[in-house]
Amino acid sequence: MALLEVEEINKYFPGVQALRNVSLGVEAGEVHALVGENGAGKSTLVKIISGAYRPDSGRIIFDGVTFDEFSPAYATAHGISVVHQRQQLVPWLSVEENILLGKQPRRLGVVVDMRARRRLARELLAQMHLEINPATPVAQLSPVEQQEVVIAKALYQKARLLILDEPTAALGPAQIERLFELIRELCSQGVSVLYISHHLEEIFQLAQSLTVLRDGVVVTTRPVQELTQGEVVDMMAGHHVTVARDVPEDALTPAAGRPLEEAASLLELRGLSAGPVLREIDLSVPAGQVVGVTGIVGAGGHDLALTLFGLMEPFAGECRLRGKAYTPRGPQQAIEQGIFLVPENPGRDGLVGLMSVAQNMTIVDLPAITRAGILQLKEEARVARSYVSSLHIATPTIEREVRALSGGNQQKVLLAKALQAKAQVLILEEPTQGVDVNAKEEIHRIIRELAAGGKAVLVISTDIRDLLQFTDRMLVLRKGRIVADIPTIEGNYTKILNLTLGTEDVSWSQEKA
Amino acid sequence: MEPRKSIGVTRESSPGLPRPGAALKAFRLRFDPTTYGSTIVLVVGIILTSIFSPAFLTLSNISNLLTQIAVLGIVTMGQTIVLVSAGIDLSVGSNAALSGVVCGLMFQAGIPLWAGCIAALACATVIGLINGLLISWRRVEPFIITLGMMTLLEGIAELITGGSPINDMGALATTLGGTIPVVNVPVSILILFIMVILTWAFLRWTPLGRNAYAIGGNEEASFLSGVSIKRTKIYLYTLAGLVAGIGALVLSGILNAAEANIGVGLELQSIAAAVIGGTLLFGGRGGAWRSLQGVLLLGFVSNALNLLSVGANYQNIALGIIVIIAVLVQKTR
Repeated sequence: MALLEVEEINKYFPGVQALRNVSLGVEAGEVHALVGENGAGKSTLVKIISGAYRPDSGRIIFDGVTFDEFSPAYATAHGISVVHQRQQLVPWLSVEENILLGKQPRRLGVVVDMRARRRLARELLAQMHLEINPATPVAQLSPVEQQEVVIAKALYQKARLLILDEPTAALGPAQIERLFELIRELCSQGVSVLYISHHLEEIFQLAQSLTVLRDGVVVTTRPVQELTQGEVVDMMAGHHVTVARDVPEDALTPAAGRPLEEAASLLELRGLSAGPVLREIDLSVPAGQVVGVTGIVGAGGHDLALTLFGLMEPFAGECRLRGKAYTPRGPQQAIEQGIFLVPENPGRDGLVGLMSVAQNMTIVDLPAITRAGILQLKEEARVARSYVSSLHIATPTIEREVRALSGGNQQKVLLAKALQAKAQVLILEEPTQGVDVNAKEEIHRIIRELAAGGKAVLVISTDIRDLLQFTDRMLVLRKGRIVADIPTIEGNYTKILNLTLGTEDVSWSQEKA
Repeated sequence: MEPRKSIGVTRESSPGLPRPGAALKAFRLRFDPTTYGSTIVLVVGIILTSIFSPAFLTLSNISNLLTQIAVLGIVTMGQTIVLVSAGIDLSVGSNAALSGVVCGLMFQAGIPLWAGCIAALACATVIGLINGLLISWRRVEPFIITLGMMTLLEGIAELITGGSPINDMGALATTLGGTIPVVNVPVSILILFIMVILTWAFLRWTPLGRNAYAIGGNEEASFLSGVSIKRTKIYLYTLAGLVAGIGALVLSGILNAAEANIGVGLELQSIAAAVIGGTLLFGGRGGAWRSLQGVLLLGFVSNALNLLSVGANYQNIALGIIVIIAVLVQKTR
């Protein structure tokens, strides 16, 4: 009998069967890895196990107890703890206060017993073989130490199953090793870990067993030693495609297929390095091209967008726009020089929900509709109507508050904004995330039309399949570096997935063998 | 604010019978209590009060009521500009007091009244500018900055007047504090009316006014759209300061006096009036006419309670309840 038994779990969300008959077991003292693409159902499953969602059917049995209630408090009380990053800590409180928060030892039931608290924290940290001063404010700790404190907090609450979701995202190699040591130590003490990660090499280093989810279904669940990284990638992707043979080898060199001489490049990066991950980026984007940039979360796509929009300062390399040096110091300058960023979450970061469709479109360039210091509202309405009809935005009037529109239509309002800003280079982050199929196709079409109209478009997305449908070229980022710059070919999916995960060598050698 | 599903044009909405509740939903959507709530309360209240108190609907009482709210109305216009951008200015009251005192002291010293008035407006504007600079420099909370400024200005006003009032504002009492000949309308009401029109036009027709709504609605999105957050905020607080200065001159004219503690309470009343009228405390929505409604409602309630001989303590209770209800109505939207 395993410590955690997940039995035949089903979960349906409007429009999608998120989980279908999902079963798996986590033994006491083991690290069980959960892998799958974005949208495969990993986070839904975690939310059910940790009590945030109620399943439509199926059972969760933990240490012989069948859960009859689904709430985070219930799951925690039974010993299941999700370790998120940082957000569970109060930065200005000390390590010991954070660990014992909510369950402080008390004297006479009222006053916090400081001495007992220090002692308990010391004992716990010693048991974990950690050398952290319990009196240090958490804000002064390194990322890995903070994560250790979160784990200590979970253990203090008698957690016996820790759920770690991408725990190494913010950590360097030495820190990752340190975290792994702690995990192994805890496992030897009988604690189990459900480990969710995109980094297969980490999983093969750490986990004893592994479950692959795809489209809400368990593809396999078995011991890691029976599997190779290549097999896992194939199971995540769903079909075995030997792309390496479809694409000529020379197509894998940067920007091949479309020589640079063919079109003058609008945007050119040479050896650009910025932020904690982005390193030595060489990239040139000619007018009329749609370039997809993909990679797992944290691979540097978002940082690339921030750098190009003047929100992150590069510390090495150069950036040229229409042949001239381009060093924006903020969005205002970036927009003035012809670059526009469509952020990932339009409702939150891109649009002003309380303002009308028309007002959202023109806010990016008010001088264009201003004469003698006065806004020309008729001119504004004319501009807005033309975008509503050319981009097929479904809204009853241009006066409608933009928050009342669907996600797809909000995305189109943002594209109208980019047009109104007269941007020549568009950077779109996850443009089709959370929009329905029809809207997706329309957004693809609009992006293609923008490119056909002479704009350069950079689409940054983790959704490889989506990118393959409308880009000319795919750029793969891993750990902040470009690992491939290849023409878009439909069948490239598995190849690109391998490149993002860093498993390409394994997969290729197996295919050749 | 979560984006809602599109309500008007959805593909799946069937052209047949409307779903039960759909009509109600559509009505709720059009009927926005933050827009009409205060209007309805005002109209119903006026009708009831004129039934119970014949003295209410007389020209002299209405004129009296409007004069009483003129200064609050003017100051509320400046407050509205700041509130729309999700800011707040707690220093408007003491700013008005200090500016009035500056004008009064200069007049007392024999400096021409017009020069004193210009000095007062300049003083108020510079205070607003300082507010704006402090707030946009490192994005500090406007609540705290203007709270500090409020106390600071009160102190300065006390210091330069030595705590004693100035009881002669010369021609100010007969101009700004007087009435327009022939039509017999108080000048203060005319100025309030002009300020409402100007504020309305500013928020609707100028790029700066538009940017105020954008910043108030979503500062991050405005920043990513290339709106200069800092510059906009500096301008808005400067304007709020200038408007407080105009209020100060009207107040000095009406009272024919200037005093260090004359603006106490004006800041909270102006915020309350704007919120009652439907200007959101958290920004992005509101305007001159809404805020004017709030001012009228506040003025009406205290006037009506006076006429109905309700004690001052009950009046405060009533006003407090109105403010609380107004905020609750906004939150349920």
